[in-house]
This record gives sequence, structure tokens and C-alpha cells, in this order.
Amino acid sequence: MIKKFIHQFASPKTYLFQVTRAYPYIFVTSILIYIISIFWGLFLTPEDFVQGNSYRIIYLHVPASFISQALYGGMAIASAIFLIWKVKLSAYLVKSIAPIGAMTTFIALISGSIWGIPTWGTWWAWDARIVSTLILFIMYLGLISLHDSFANYEKADKFLAVLVLVGSVNIPIIKMSVEWWSTLHQSASITISDKPTIDPSMLYPLFGSMIGFTGIVVCLVILSSKLHIFVREKNKSWIKDYV
Amino acid sequence: MKIFYFEFLKLRKKSRGWIGPILVFVLIMTAFPLTVEFLNEDLDQAFFSVLWIALMLVMMLATEDIFLEDYNDGSLEQLALKNQSLALILGTKIFIYWMLIGVPISIIGSFYGFGITRSFDLGLNILPILLVTSYIFLNVFSFGNALSLTKGSVLGTLITMPLVLPLLVVLGKVVISINIGLNYFGFLVLLLGILSIIIVVIPLIISFIIRAHLE
Repeated sequence: MIKKFIHQFASPKTYLFQVTRAYPYIFVTSILIYIISIFWGLFLTPEDFVQGNSYRIIYLHVPASFISQALYGGMAIASAIFLIWKVKLSAYLVKSIAPIGAMTTFIALISGSIWGIPTWGTWWAWDARIVSTLILFIMYLGLISLHDSFANYEKADKFLAVLVLVGSVNIPIIKMSVEWWSTLHQSASITISDKPTIDPSMLYPLFGSMIGFTGIVVCLVILSSKLHIFVREKNKSWIKDYV
Repeated sequence: MKIFYFEFLKLRKKSRGWIGPILVFVLIMTAFPLTVEFLNEDLDQAFFSVLWIALMLVMMLATEDIFLEDYNDGSLEQLALKNQSLALILGTKIFIYWMLIGVPISIIGSFYGFGITRSFDLGLNILPILLVTSYIFLNVFSFGNALSLTKGSVLGTLITMPLVLPLLVVLGKVVISINIGLNYFGFLVLLLGILSIIIVVIPLIISFIIRAHLE
């Protein structure tokens, strides 16, 4: 039954119909959660003892940084699925995620720079975490250029999947950069194994903003993938019926 | 062995393919002292950064058309049709590039290390690092050029340069270790570990890419 479900959902047609149905719910819920979390974080949580009000940018910076890496992880999984099981929906998703990944990485870099001015006294430092995030941004741009440079979509999908998989070696480096090198950037405040080092009054809205932001990004991926499916499947009869 | 000899002859005859990158390396390493004040301390400080970046750029240049000519004249297609493993053939090709370009550049680089820092030990210490790093760079850039085979080397560079940047961080650590007199052997082992994975995996990936290009 699970196999049947996977096979069914792996078809672009089923995916398109399912995500179109789910999209409004995800969108409204995510926006609501994000707005509530932002309001909570900006107006109801106390000032930070050291950083004052400037820390409140975490409600944008942390979700964007988290998602920028998570999206690459998602692309790597989708690429592996495409190369192993030849599921073409995975290839469409890889292509659709890349620009969204670039956008979230850009947001993470910009918001980090803005936060850096009051806390570090500089908007940029040649620090391991910042530089590795910049590398991630360049990698996203490279992936987009690689796919766009081939007119033959099948070839482009294969090359993109291979590059995403090879490039995924950088993700642990980005994640662990704050542990492996002495950097200006602080270590993660929330980890799976340890108790969060952040106060609960700031932690809950942060969790909310991460969930809300993730939902918004999922919506963007849905829109991007729908567009890509329209382009790739334009000659199929079902797409004409759908449109 | 036949393939080894054949690929060796092919690259040796294409002298611009291997002498060119070596000369570019020599030019960069000779020209860089002109950009800093003529104080030995300044040269010492800048030397390693310039050395690693020059090595990376030259390896990038060296692999620019590593598969293109074979692809255009159809010999890559012939190789793919052979009973022999394409990955092995491609691995051999990269190895020959390393022998003719990577090894001389590493030796020249260590001479520059001696000439600029005036330390014989230092020149000798960086030789194994240069040898291993140049081979890693060659493999990674060959992968990039295989991906962008018909689309120019700029794209290949753009997509593979982010992959080698963590390696530059390791090289930076090596330099710090050498400068403060620590044992850098651990880093050499790390680089060897990376190389041992790369020389197995990259030819396999490149053979997959080349087959996709030939489809």
C-alpha cells in the first residue's frame, strides 16, 4: 500500500493535484503562525541583557539560515531518489528548490549582516560560518546556471542531481563551521542533544517563526514546482485538462 | 598499461596543454612579489595564500579541455564503447595530467617556498602537501569540466570552485601549523584521506556524466 502511495504521489499529475489542494491550508496556517510569532518576538519578549533589541532579528535570520541548509539537504535526497529510482518528480523538485534555496541563503546573509552591525561592530567578517554560507549561496547560483545552460532537460536533470549530491559534502562543513573553527559567530543555541541555551520567553516565538517560515518556503517550493511541471509536462493531455 | 601509454603520449604531444599551466604558475609566483613591499616578512606572509590560489587556478586551467577534444573527435565515444571500465580510463587520464602538470608544479612550488621564505625545511615540508592537493584539485576540476563539457570552462569553474574552498581552509591550517612549528602530519593524513575517496569516486561520477553527454 505504501509502495502504491509512493508510486502514485511520485507522478507529477497526482503531485500537482494534491499540492494544489493542500496549498491554501499550508499558506494560511504558515502566514498566521509566522505573524503571531513575529508579533510575539517583537513586542512581547523582553530585551536581551547584552544585545538589547537588536537580537530580535533572530526571528528572520535563524529560520532563513536553517531553511537554506535544510533545502539543500532536501535537494540532495531528491537527487538521490532521481538517480536511483528515476523518479522524474524528484528532478523537478530539485530544479524548483534551487532558486528558493538561493533566496533564503541571501536573506540569511543579509539579515546576518544587519545583525552584525550593532553586535560585532561590522556588517561582514571573514568568519568560517559567514564565508561557508556565502559559498552555499554561490553553490545555489551554480546549480541554477548549470541547469539553465542545457536545452535538453533530461541531461540537465541528471547533471544537476550529480552536482547537488557531490556538493552536499559542504553542508556538514557549514553546519559544523562554528564548532570546528574559532569564529565570531556564536554556536547553535538549539541542538537536538542538549537543552536550549536560549531563554524560553525567546525560544517559543523562535520555534513559531521557524515553523511559519518553513511553511511559507514550502508554499514557494510548491508554486515553483507547479510552474516547472507546467513547463515540462506542457504536451501531456492531463495538463491541458488541468489548465 | 596501453591506455596509460596512449594517454601519456597524447598529452605530451599537446605541449600547450601541460607546459602552459606550468608557465602560468611560474609567472604568478614570480609576479606576486612585485605587488607587495620588498620586505621579506611581507613576502613570507603572502606567500602561502598566493601559492594555494595559484595552484588552484592553474589546475583549473589545466583541466579546461581535458575531455573536450576527445569528445569532439569521437574518441571519448569509442572509449565508452570499449569493454574496459570507462571510469578506470578517465582515472588514468587524470593521473597522467597530475604526473605531467601537478608533479612539476608541486616541485616548482616547493622551490619557490625555499626561495621566498629562505627556509629549506619549509620548502621540503610543503612538497607532499602540494602533491596531494594538486591531485585533489585536478580531480575536482575534471568533474566540473565533465559537467560543463560543451558549455565552456567558466560554468565548470563556477560549479566546482565552491567544492574546493573547504580545502583551502585546511591548507590555511597547514600553513599555521608549519609557521608555529607544530606537526602538520595530521593535516597531510586528512588530505590523503580526502584524496583516497576522491580518486575512487570522481572517475566513476565523471564516467556517468560522460555517458550522459554521449546519449
